[in-house]
Amino acid sequence: MTTAVTAPVRPRLPAAARRYWPLAAALVLLPLGLLLAGRGSWPASLQVDLSGPLGSASDWIVDNRDSHPLFLYFLGHVSNAVVLSVRGVYLVLLAAGWAGVTAAAGLVAWRLAGPRLAATAVASFAVCGLLGMWVPTMQTLALMVVAVAASVALGAVLGLAAGLSDRTYRALRPVLDTMQVLPAFAYLLPVVLIFGIGVPAAVLATVVYAAPPMARLTALGLRAADPGVLEASASLGATGRQRLLTARIPLARRELLLGVNQSIMMALSMAVIASVIGAGGLGDRVYQALASVDVGAALAAGIPIVLLAVVLDRTATGARSHGTPGRTWAACAAAVLALAVAGRLTGALTWPEAWHVDIAEPVNRAVDWMTAHLYSGVPVVGGTADWAAHFTGWVLDPVRDGLQALPWWALLVVVGALALHVGTWRTALTAVSAMAAIGVLGVWDASLDTLSQVLAAVAVTLVLGFGIAVGAARSSRLERLLRPVLDVFQTMPQFVYLIPVVALFGVGRAPAVAAAVVYALPAVVRITTQGLRGVDPVALESARSLGATGWQQLRQVQFPLARPALLLAVNQAVVLVLAVVIIGGLVGGGALGYDVVFGLAQGDLATGLVAGAAIVCLGLMLDRVTQPTGKEA
Amino acid sequence: MSTTPVTKDATNGGPADDGPATGTTAAGTTAAAGSGAAGPDGTGPGTPRPVFSVEGLWKVFGPKADRVPGSELAELPAAELRERTGCTAAVRDVSFDVRKGEVFVVMGLSGSGKSTLVRCLTRLIEPTSGTVAIDGEDILAMDKSRLRELRRHRAAMVFQHFGLLPHRTVLDNVAYGLEIQGMGRAERRAKAAEIVTKVGLEGMEDRRPSQLSGGQQQRVGLARALAVDPEVLLFDEPFSALDPLIRRDMQEEVVRLHREEGCTMVFITHDLSEALRLGDRIALMRDGRIVQLGTPEEIVGSPADDYVRDFVRDVPREQVITVRSAMRPPCAGEADSGPAVAPGATVSEAIEAVARTGGPVRVVDAGRCVGVVDHEGLLSVVAGVPLGKAAA
Repeated sequence: MTTAVTAPVRPRLPAAARRYWPLAAALVLLPLGLLLAGRGSWPASLQVDLSGPLGSASDWIVDNRDSHPLFLYFLGHVSNAVVLSVRGVYLVLLAAGWAGVTAAAGLVAWRLAGPRLAATAVASFAVCGLLGMWVPTMQTLALMVVAVAASVALGAVLGLAAGLSDRTYRALRPVLDTMQVLPAFAYLLPVVLIFGIGVPAAVLATVVYAAPPMARLTALGLRAADPGVLEASASLGATGRQRLLTARIPLARRELLLGVNQSIMMALSMAVIASVIGAGGLGDRVYQALASVDVGAALAAGIPIVLLAVVLDRTATGARSHGTPGRTWAACAAAVLALAVAGRLTGALTWPEAWHVDIAEPVNRAVDWMTAHLYSGVPVVGGTADWAAHFTGWVLDPVRDGLQALPWWALLVVVGALALHVGTWRTALTAVSAMAAIGVLGVWDASLDTLSQVLAAVAVTLVLGFGIAVGAARSSRLERLLRPVLDVFQTMPQFVYLIPVVALFGVGRAPAVAAAVVYALPAVVRITTQGLRGVDPVALESARSLGATGWQQLRQVQFPLARPALLLAVNQAVVLVLAVVIIGGLVGGGALGYDVVFGLAQGDLATGLVAGAAIVCLGLMLDRVTQPTGKEA
Repeated sequence: MSTTPVTKDATNGGPADDGPATGTTAAGTTAAAGSGAAGPDGTGPGTPRPVFSVEGLWKVFGPKADRVPGSELAELPAAELRERTGCTAAVRDVSFDVRKGEVFVVMGLSGSGKSTLVRCLTRLIEPTSGTVAIDGEDILAMDKSRLRELRRHRAAMVFQHFGLLPHRTVLDNVAYGLEIQGMGRAERRAKAAEIVTKVGLEGMEDRRPSQLSGGQQQRVGLARALAVDPEVLLFDEPFSALDPLIRRDMQEEVVRLHREEGCTMVFITHDLSEALRLGDRIALMRDGRIVQLGTPEEIVGSPADDYVRDFVRDVPREQVITVRSAMRPPCAGEADSGPAVAPGATVSEAIEAVARTGGPVRVVDAGRCVGVVDHEGLLSVVAGVPLGKAAA
């Protein structure tokens, strides 16, 4: 109507049309493409077979690892330094004995986070010993110490550079952002290619995986420093260095500590996964046990991982909220030393055999019982294996077949349209090129298999997550009940989730999806609950004052106002689900994850590398398609 | 005159510290400042070298800002300038001198460029063109280390949002400037403790800024600036973030410090009553230019244009204007006896005296009768009507 009045102005498309035209265009292009480009999987003529060159590159590296100057004078030293430092830390931990290490953990936890956590820490280490996992725990811990130290140092340096220089920040930010959404598995193969399977590769993969959050948060903290304080500092004649040391870095303390915290958690997660490339320790025990579907043994190694994660996270969180008192540290160190010496004198360095509690047997008996009684044929509800089979047959297979039956170019168009819908031309371009790269790499079908698992898992996660979140947002009691559960679940490394799903559902694609759902659910519930709770209470109150029902409030006020949080939840769900679906290759998830594991196990790095690259592309595509920041920013 | 409203408060039972002396406002203040050179009309003879001397100062934000000053672009109104060049001129061709010992107030509404102006004085914002000199030394020509020297020892600033370091105690915040100078820990903490007492924060040395009220935080900011013994204190809307009562306390604190320390102050504010209360001279800014520069009495009594007139319309004139502007020459017999007021006394004080005696009151300067005020003259000031017949 208004356009008719102001006649000469070209009538603009109505808002809805402007928003949805990419979808409309997709609908028009679909039949058109069907006529012109045909149907079916990615055409062989557009594929580039990389296995030849990659294989020869891998062979070259293996041949030259002991002679080429690059390895002799640089990478060799890196590798040696890593081995030496891990070995050194490991020996120190062993020398301290179980008494010394447990005491040290307890005292550090006590100083940083109070007596309750100290008790938890002592109990956790005792449980590690009881389960007969003392030595693997120390191996994992030694690897963690080295990897965390390196990634915090590396992250801090990168973060400092990005925090102080705009240009570095602009260059580094997209890289760090992308690194954070990639599944851990994608990092394994490149380091294996260079360092071979072993501790150096495991540590370096962990460092590469754990450094980005530190770098990101350091840069963020330095850049967010109150400009008023910086100006005051400048007005007093501070030099650049003085300003950095007395104002900028102390002001960024929260972010720095948060960065250390996140680095520790990421490092633990990766240190466990890196058992696939020779990390040893707890992760290796889980890996071996899963490979022979020995749930009891996997659980015995999994429990220490969870305990380690909880203790490390709570201690690091404690360090964030409390100040660190200086003087008492000396006393603590003395106490630890005394206990360690006492432990040595009594000759109890490793946890005494007599105190071991074997849980593998009873757990396996329980699992056997479950297999016999719960897997199938339970009246009315059916068995867990039945569920898994139904899920595979009724959901996963149709989605996979549907995706694979779609003409390859149609999928590109759909991806492009979706990315354009949520973002800008640039995000669409990235997403489409990532998708096309998957086809070029020649792993189109395997990637679509993975994609189908991701889509199914994301759908289940979102339905469950939004449901729980709505409940938690409405009832404070439910939220209070959920909070500790979410806290624990969010700190657990991805790998651990595979253990219970294997116990419940056996192996296959459905268990992988289940693990992914369980892993992604806490983040989705938390983000959505926060979003719904963060809705302006005035808006809600005014809706109530107009007589809106609970459902109307939810649909008309809370959901629209919490839209950014909901979109973020979707994005997180996709990223987290992908990470675990890939790891699901270890428990029969097949597809890309399996290719990576297969490549590692058979020494066929070319296959693994191609799959790894496809994982990167898939992660990039999924993130871009669901990342709503492009338009809002 | 800067203390006049305070005096009025004092007569109402406020904290009167030096009763009759405050009646002599203009003369009193300048005498306290030590030089006594600045006459009440701001054009006193024998002016010593100014502390700050600003000449033709421009600050233009935006791409290729250099081309704006001195070109025909300089005359464009703000909107048109932005349209044509993408630039914003925050400070336009500003010139003024800040004399030793005075409180120089720059006053204007938000966006008038006053905060940019004060930052140009120590090059926290780099001016686009013009000259700024401190004690005759060109600030814009200073190299980095000389500039740091200036900021460390000669000019200290107090900020609207305090700019305190949240992770440090009050004492360490106050000592921060000294730390930057490279002073040893014990020495700077001793000095800081002294200043903390001076601004009335004793007992709070070990608190963190977050544990203090806004007024206390700003006292820390003030103490931090004072700790370095600067020649000039720069205030950037220091009290705007505070509650009205606290603001009044802090203003009195500044008046007291000025009286006791006698240091030069440049004070930025958007609050007219604050400007009138504190300022020896006021520069009123609008759109980056100074529209009027003068004593509070000049600003209120003879506004330069309609903008200023509008601005000062609601000011209680009798509290700003002195009897000097309201008196007439004495008639025969009036000059010899009867109650007397000083020429710097405000009209409202004179009204009280006249009301008490019921007749004209003498204006006595250094024992000599310079004039007489009566009902008629005083009322004309209150009413804002020009004096019919009286002199001055």
